[in-house]
Amino acid sequence: SSVVARQRTTSVQNNKTVTCNYSTSAPRMMANVDRLTDPKSFLDELDVFVFDMDGVIWRGDSLIDGVPETLQKLRDEGKQMFFVTNNSTKSRAGYKKKFDNLGLDFIPSNEIFSSSFSAAAYLEMTKFKETGKKVYIVGEVGIGDELDLIGIPWIGGLDDQGKQPPMGPGDRLEHDHDVGAVIVGFDRNFNYYKIQYAQLCINKNPDCKFIATNLDAVTHLTDAQEWAGGGSMVGAIKGCTGRDPTVVGKPSPLMIDYLCDKFGFDRKRICMVGDRLDTDIVFGANNGLQTLLVLSGVTSESKLLSPENKVTPTFYTDSIVDFFADRA
Amino acid sequence: MKFVTTALAALACAGTASAFTPNAAFLPKTTSRFNTAMNANVLKLSDPMSEILYKTDVFIFDCDGVIWRGDSLIDGIPETLEKLRAMGKKMFFVTNNSTKSRAGYKKKFDSLGLDIPAEEIFSSSFAAAAYMEQTKFKETGKKVYIIGEVGICEELDLIDVPWIGGPQDADKQPDMGPGGKLDHDEDVGAVIVGFDRTVNYYKIQYAQLCINENENCEFIATNTDAVTHLTDAQEWAGNGSMVGAIKGCTGQEPTVVGKPSPLMIDYLCTKLGLERSRICMVGDRLDTDVLFGTDNGLQSLLVLSGVTSEEKLLSPENTITPDYYADTINDFFLEAPAKVES
Repeated sequence: SSVVARQRTTSVQNNKTVTCNYSTSAPRMMANVDRLTDPKSFLDELDVFVFDMDGVIWRGDSLIDGVPETLQKLRDEGKQMFFVTNNSTKSRAGYKKKFDNLGLDFIPSNEIFSSSFSAAAYLEMTKFKETGKKVYIVGEVGIGDELDLIGIPWIGGLDDQGKQPPMGPGDRLEHDHDVGAVIVGFDRNFNYYKIQYAQLCINKNPDCKFIATNLDAVTHLTDAQEWAGGGSMVGAIKGCTGRDPTVVGKPSPLMIDYLCDKFGFDRKRICMVGDRLDTDIVFGANNGLQTLLVLSGVTSESKLLSPENKVTPTFYTDSIVDFFADRA
Repeated sequence: MKFVTTALAALACAGTASAFTPNAAFLPKTTSRFNTAMNANVLKLSDPMSEILYKTDVFIFDCDGVIWRGDSLIDGIPETLEKLRAMGKKMFFVTNNSTKSRAGYKKKFDSLGLDIPAEEIFSSSFAAAAYMEQTKFKETGKKVYIIGEVGICEELDLIDVPWIGGPQDADKQPDMGPGGKLDHDEDVGAVIVGFDRTVNYYKIQYAQLCINENENCEFIATNTDAVTHLTDAQEWAGNGSMVGAIKGCTGQEPTVVGKPSPLMIDYLCTKLGLERSRICMVGDRLDTDVLFGTDNGLQSLLVLSGVTSEEKLLSPENTITPDYYADTINDFFLEAPAKVES
């Protein structure tokens, strides 16, 4: 279905010009959200693609039809690509295994940007290792794996699952005073021990950083429903410290700045492709990239086109397979 | 010409300066009243009868840091409370801690040697139930999902509102395998979030589903305290964490029933016909207790027997001003000191 253009009438009331916007019988829609109808021209303007994964490449554990062929064709045309996800539970190497299992083994792990990798990249950019301090992790294996790769010592993570602090009369939870940063990511083993440990580090260790991999309210752990996301864990730590974290994942500019610094890309020739308006498209638009919203994930066409939506991608389309729809 | 004027001005200043060189004999004596000049409106209680007692019919006491600290009664409290009762003062004891019901708190008072009737105790668990009554939740026929400990469960039982969750969800894990889902009760019409030492992902996900998917489901918080005094030995992450988690996955702000929300005061004043200006709120925290008092037209007394130090109270960063401050509530019956001769 195509976008219904709004009709405008202009009238003069009390010597002031008043412009009214109304459409005919169709619901009011945004005038400037364009469907991708000339993909070849769009591709010709782009050198680099940054793909969100969930809702673009796969949905939960199932690959979206036609994706491998599409990615291969983009590579054949000389396009560079990166795959970003706000999910911190796996490292890049962990995501490579998922790509391999889905038949996308031609994607090398250095094209994968999980928010676990972003957290490690942020610590490198800020020379955390020189402080000699440790990190306390609220999260799953991905973050610890990435910190290991850059030689930063850490505690917590999976080791603190199932723990209870001592809470009898006069009890306290001892915490390591050498923790210089707390990284909070999605954590299915979240518990009060971890909340209290993080609270003590952030509130008591001087200059302790509070870093969040992402703030997503919901995530697609499984296809069957929406699951509370990393925003919950981060919200808990905000709630006991009163502090806002440094966010390394979308829509923070960190990952884009990292890519552009490292590879010298022209931002106008990069396209961010995602299924979420508030993370993917905002991420792209705020960083000077082109943006493509695909309807193969969480956002429906009616949500995109509704008057409540304030986020405008450059184009939208059903899925990335449409890149070659005019050359099928 | 300019140079001369400047030189003369410099001489004049120098002359003036020497006349004001501090001489110990002329320095005013430093008393705590002069320390309060740092934050000009914060007065230490010095004449309790005229400053507070004659003006007050009802006292509302925060519990932790005023009556007890952790599990230890603060010295002198029982006698002070008796003297206030003997003067005909009414009193209520409020706490933002939702882990016990009023009846549960009565047991704590009893164990500390304080014979307080349960009707004088206002835990935030009770406040949540009172809110459900005020808003006629029972008439909706719906249930409540509880993140919290037994206090909330017991209070809802007392008013016959059906609930699920609470301590029984402590060790649960949702099914997160391929195609897995957590089935939630579509009849949940409100989620109440209170301090919960067994908070876990199951509870977070259950609450998220209720709030995001059940139409008009309310999100209620007993309180949002960042830290609490579970034990005397350190500060412990408070209910602000549990509430923060649910805010983080729903994007919604809760209705807060505990301090500093006006709910408990409105309930008391409506139920008992009290005059607000003759109520004094006594607490140890500026951002919950004192703000609770000042925002609701009550008098306020900050005591230094809990988490707030005199330094923190008087620092320029502090923008919350109680009417008076004192070391403990025992100061109500201290002799007023002789006035300092200046």
